[in-house]
Amino acid sequence: MSAQAILQRLGAPLTVLVLLTLWELAARALALDGFPTATESLAQLPAILFDGQSLQSIGASLARMFAGIGLALLVAVPAGLAMGRNPTLARMLNPLLSAAYPVPKAALMPMVMLWFGVGDLSKILVIFLGVSLPLLYHSYHGAARLDDKLLWSAAAMGMRAPARLLRITLPGALPEVLLGCRVGLAMALIVMISSEMIARQSGAGDLLFNALDMALYPDVYAMIVILAALGFALDWAFEHLRLRLVHWAEPRQDAASGGNS
Amino acid sequence: MEKRAMIEIQRLGKSFRIAGGKRHVALEGIDLNIREGEFVSILGPSGCGKSTLLYMLGGFVPPSSGSIQVQGRPVTGPGPDRGPVFQEFALFPWKTVLGNVMYGLRQQGVGKREARERAMALLHKVNLASYADFYPKELSGGMRQRVAIARTLAYDPATLLMDEPFGALDAHTRTVLQNELLQIWERDRKTVMFVTHGVDEAVFLSDRVVVMTRSPGRIRTVVDIDLPRPRVRAELLVDRRYQEYVVELERLIEDVHHERDAEPAPAPVAKTTLKVATR
Ligand SMILES: Nc1ncnc2c1ncn2[C@@H]1O[C@H](COP(=O)(O)OP(=O)(O)OP(=O)(O)O)[C@@H](O)[C@H]1O
Ligand SMILES: [Mg+2]
Repeated sequence: MSAQAILQRLGAPLTVLVLLTLWELAARALALDGFPTATESLAQLPAILFDGQSLQSIGASLARMFAGIGLALLVAVPAGLAMGRNPTLARMLNPLLSAAYPVPKAALMPMVMLWFGVGDLSKILVIFLGVSLPLLYHSYHGAARLDDKLLWSAAAMGMRAPARLLRITLPGALPEVLLGCRVGLAMALIVMISSEMIARQSGAGDLLFNALDMALYPDVYAMIVILAALGFALDWAFEHLRLRLVHWAEPRQDAASGGNS
Repeated sequence: MEKRAMIEIQRLGKSFRIAGGKRHVALEGIDLNIREGEFVSILGPSGCGKSTLLYMLGGFVPPSSGSIQVQGRPVTGPGPDRGPVFQEFALFPWKTVLGNVMYGLRQQGVGKREARERAMALLHKVNLASYADFYPKELSGGMRQRVAIARTLAYDPATLLMDEPFGALDAHTRTVLQNELLQIWERDRKTVMFVTHGVDEAVFLSDRVVVMTRSPGRIRTVVDIDLPRPRVRAELLVDRRYQEYVVELERLIEDVHHERDAEPAPAPVAKTTLKVATR
């Protein structure tokens, strides 16, 4: 194996190692109360990960997150695709989309809680909103950019409009829809934590902020490490799924324009 | 036997809204009747509206004026009686070559096994059988074009709307596919609208050749190709009448190009819009 190949394979773990070392050194040098060292924090990991209640909390968070994502997939993808193929619909909904996109969804939490309480429903709804917008946006663009002639070809074979949306527009826009999913996944994690910060009851965010309230700083940092690892794992798994689903796609010239949020 | 008109095009026009709220007239006053089983080619400079005309025949794009009737019924949308082969191929990128060619058959309720067999038979004809499991992105332009042709032939439309279907092919493959198309046409007597830039190709294949002018797109003239069938390429090439048709059409095309250069402003009335009646 060449040096380059070794670097390529070990690149990610190496980065992590360097970051941890820097963290350790900085924390030791600064010696702040609220900034525990890496070793202190990582030492808390087993306590959290082998504690039934903590695990249950994190599991509950993830369950809400996936519920929100599932709901968003069911609503935002068809809506976005329909918008992309229907200029009138797009003209009607576009202003709404641009206005809603930059609103931090977790900031809606207090309002949603007034209507739906502090339980799971409110949190799922807010996650749903957070995931919906990038999903809607990317589905819309994916469908709008699709070559009409693909739909015409299917229409000439006798396929009706509703079937075309599912069988032509959806696969045709899939590469872009999945870019939206990736952004949505990151968004879901963010909104998941922040919703739990506002509606403290259970969940990973609750664990984190409780530890903060009690000044258990190593625990706080351990939770942050867990969340970061979770984000990494989800993204990694999703990328694998994505490449499997759209291996047939031509590489896009303007790939850089995707995935902003 | 008198054959009825398969396609009747009357005073057909198409204009597009362009930037600044203006309208761009792409086609104007197109009159054309096409008999059932007739092979009609369309020649004309780039941008004269050949593709647009085919889109309207296919029912993909509505006319701005005039009317189109297919088998006596006005065209209101696409249908499996009219199969398009698009200039840009428009293959389904998520389907393999075989999946693309099977698609129309499956759509029409043909069982998986039979669809597969018929699709494979067509892929053999266009010489792509060994590429059945490839995805479109893995094919060259000429290969994609052949898949597109096979995909449309597969579901056996009565009318073929072919937009420069041999444009991306090498000379040899083009000859092979021209012969193949002629054979299919002579056997099944499909009605074919065939857009091309190749004068010799148009003469070789067609019963009639429509020559168009640009800005706005109109029919300049229609030339009957009175050559016996079945046509054999090697014989035609040395046939005086064949050569005369080619020369005549080359001249017409030349004229059309000169007219365009000489007249920057669009002419109010086309000079010789020949109205061709159904025979
Ligand atoms: N969607 C559209 N919007 C505006 N103008 C259009 C549109 N489609 C076609 N046109 C115009 O209509 C005219 C005819 O276009 P068309 O594609 O039918 O030409 P063509 O004869 O097929 O040319 P080529 O030989 O290059 O394929 C062109 O001037 C083009 O600019
Ligand atoms: Mg064209």
